[in-house]
Amino acid sequence: MTTGSGGHGGGLLSAVLALGALLTLSARCAGGAPAPPSMSPHPAPAPGAESGLRFVDVAEKTGITRVALSGRPEKDHVLDSSGTGVAWLDYDRDGHLDAYIVNAWKLSDGAVVEKGRNALYRNRGDGTFEDVTDRAGVAGEGRWGCGIAVADYDNDGWPDILLTNFGANVLYRNRGDGTFENVAAAAGIESPGWNTGAAFFDADGDGDLDLYIAAYIDCTMEEVLAAQRNLSWKGVDNVAFGPFGLKGAPDHFFLSDGKGHFTDATEQSGLTDLALGYGFSVRAADFDNDGDLDLYVANDSNANYLYRNEGQGRFTETGLWSGAAFDAHGAAQAGMGVTVGDYNGDALLDIFVTNFAEDFSTLYKGDGHGFFEDVSEATGVGPATFTSLSWGTVFADLDDDGDQDLVVANGHIYPQVDRHPEFGLTYAQRNLLLENSGDGRFVDATARAGAGFAPAALSRGLAAGDFDDDGDLDLLISHLDAPPSLLRNDSARGGWLTVDLDVPAGRGPLVGTLVTVKAGGRTLIRDVSSNDSYLSVNDPRPSFGLGAARVVDLVDVRWPDGSHASLKDVAIDRFVKIRKER
Amino acid sequence: MKRFAWTLVCFSAVLTAGSTLTRAAGDVSGASTPAELVASYNSLADTILAGNRTEHNLVKAILSATYRHGEMALKAAKSSIKSGQGAKGDIEKLAAFVSQLGNEGDASVAGIRTRLLEGGHHHNAKGEQQGLFDEGYVIVTRAAKKALLDSAMRIGKLAMAPDAKALDTEWAAVTRQYNEIMK
Repeated sequence: MTTGSGGHGGGLLSAVLALGALLTLSARCAGGAPAPPSMSPHPAPAPGAESGLRFVDVAEKTGITRVALSGRPEKDHVLDSSGTGVAWLDYDRDGHLDAYIVNAWKLSDGAVVEKGRNALYRNRGDGTFEDVTDRAGVAGEGRWGCGIAVADYDNDGWPDILLTNFGANVLYRNRGDGTFENVAAAAGIESPGWNTGAAFFDADGDGDLDLYIAAYIDCTMEEVLAAQRNLSWKGVDNVAFGPFGLKGAPDHFFLSDGKGHFTDATEQSGLTDLALGYGFSVRAADFDNDGDLDLYVANDSNANYLYRNEGQGRFTETGLWSGAAFDAHGAAQAGMGVTVGDYNGDALLDIFVTNFAEDFSTLYKGDGHGFFEDVSEATGVGPATFTSLSWGTVFADLDDDGDQDLVVANGHIYPQVDRHPEFGLTYAQRNLLLENSGDGRFVDATARAGAGFAPAALSRGLAAGDFDDDGDLDLLISHLDAPPSLLRNDSARGGWLTVDLDVPAGRGPLVGTLVTVKAGGRTLIRDVSSNDSYLSVNDPRPSFGLGAARVVDLVDVRWPDGSHASLKDVAIDRFVKIRKER
Repeated sequence: MKRFAWTLVCFSAVLTAGSTLTRAAGDVSGASTPAELVASYNSLADTILAGNRTEHNLVKAILSATYRHGEMALKAAKSSIKSGQGAKGDIEKLAAFVSQLGNEGDASVAGIRTRLLEGGHHHNAKGEQQGLFDEGYVIVTRAAKKALLDSAMRIGKLAMAPDAKALDTEWAAVTRQYNEIMK
């Protein structure tokens, strides 16, 4: 163990080394100011107290301006409305969080008008971004982009980018010199079709990252172009073609050989999409606390899947009897986005799934053994989300008070709903900020969350990340037919700690790492994933709000190989870097 | 195979209709629907209604087989508990079968149900409108589904702490529910 630069008087530092894992710590404070552990610079917001949530959209000012093309204005086919993902990543490993925007195409009169280009924005470190898409070679190959996942699939120490497409997928291998190359064909994961959510994770415990890619419906671009709105909406208007009446497309699971090639192992792994559900979002996490990663798949209009990892790359679908497939009434919902976090501070992972309008989004409380209970009603998230049609979502402690809030990106898929105000729905909708009260309930804080949450929009992708390194999480949101929003978090907040996990080349995956922080009598957990929300990617650095705590008693890192690294008595308001040495 | 037979029936009906219309073109007194077409339609109606009955019976057979498998899984689980062997697998299997009772089959069956719905076929259209059935369900009411899924979860949790008596209690509840829906 070594103590790196920073030297901010981080208090007593200790490390527990297990299974040969070593640890490197360096710390830096936001703004470079040291914060002695004996006093907190924060006004100690009480847990659950109404905090001063404030968000302002700075996308244009910071240079993030790429318009996400989204089919036709009237959204004749469901593909026109499905939107695209966004991502936070540090592609050049300069310590600043960069942004990636996935793009689709513009259609009109049965023809392709424009093929959108994806965008990679490099964070200059001064609060602005520069478009480096061409220099990096990551424009998306002219394909209709859907989602994104980020992980170091080839274990060379650099984050790579997987783009799921309507068409062949793209896997941009990071060359480590600021440029990328598309290796999807050679890797064997192009899998043409309507690909949506994707998750890299080590399914078989062999130390390399495998890949699950969900698929939505089985259709061609010709069918999309020829689509006529034929779905009767409440008997008053014809709206989009699909998904009803269309055949679901099967999801795929690819096993890595550790040398950059993947093999389709869907069937032998027990991951066959038997119901041909309309798959949208995927999330890998250790829901039963047995040390390996399980998989949750949100299906639109079908039961969701929960695949329990049995080890050795074998899975059992347990959703139907674990409480995770349906809502509390036993009904299948229209799953769109998925986020995983710990809403009630019991150090067990919970799942939040966004759903269609006039149905609530569902919060599943985990018991740590792989069972879930729908607590949407009791926690208040059900009533708060009932009207909106919801997509991207993240658990994020936005006011650093020690509990995880929920953000929900909204927007209807039928422009035609605006012709019928009698139903009380709108096409563009406000995004939601559900503040965690700290007592197991959420309150709708949207109206007091500042100008960033004021506009109604057609939001889809959503990712949380601290792009300005000030200790709070900012929000990157994609919208249909519009440039993204970057909601800078200007909220009053409590103390914080962000853990910057560094896994150098050849030391196994970062995905699947679980970080536990103990501070102020609370135990907080965050897991590292390649994706989250709706087709999007959060900041890979686990971020912890600490409320009034003045020191972090313990930081424990459980690496995917089961080894641990721990720190004790860490000062607050800083980044701590923890390196996996073996 | 069924689909092929169905196509054949429809095709024959269309052919019959074509020839009948040709013959009836100059018949001014023929103001009624041609008898041959009515007969064909009647035959088709028989097929459709028989299809509905067949679907009902088939789903019943699925439920019956699932229940029998559940019985066997229960027996195996209790045997494992009694002999001190690990009963987790058998208990989880039982939980899966009970969840399949609630779901009218496993995910494969759900896929078929989706296909039928995509084609506009709602076995219990009226029951769905009344909120008694989930879309596409044939026998298992919404209330029964909920009860069976809850039972499945309770049984699944017993895999962590196997208890033969608790399994019997849950299975008795499942059996009551099963008998009710199979009436």
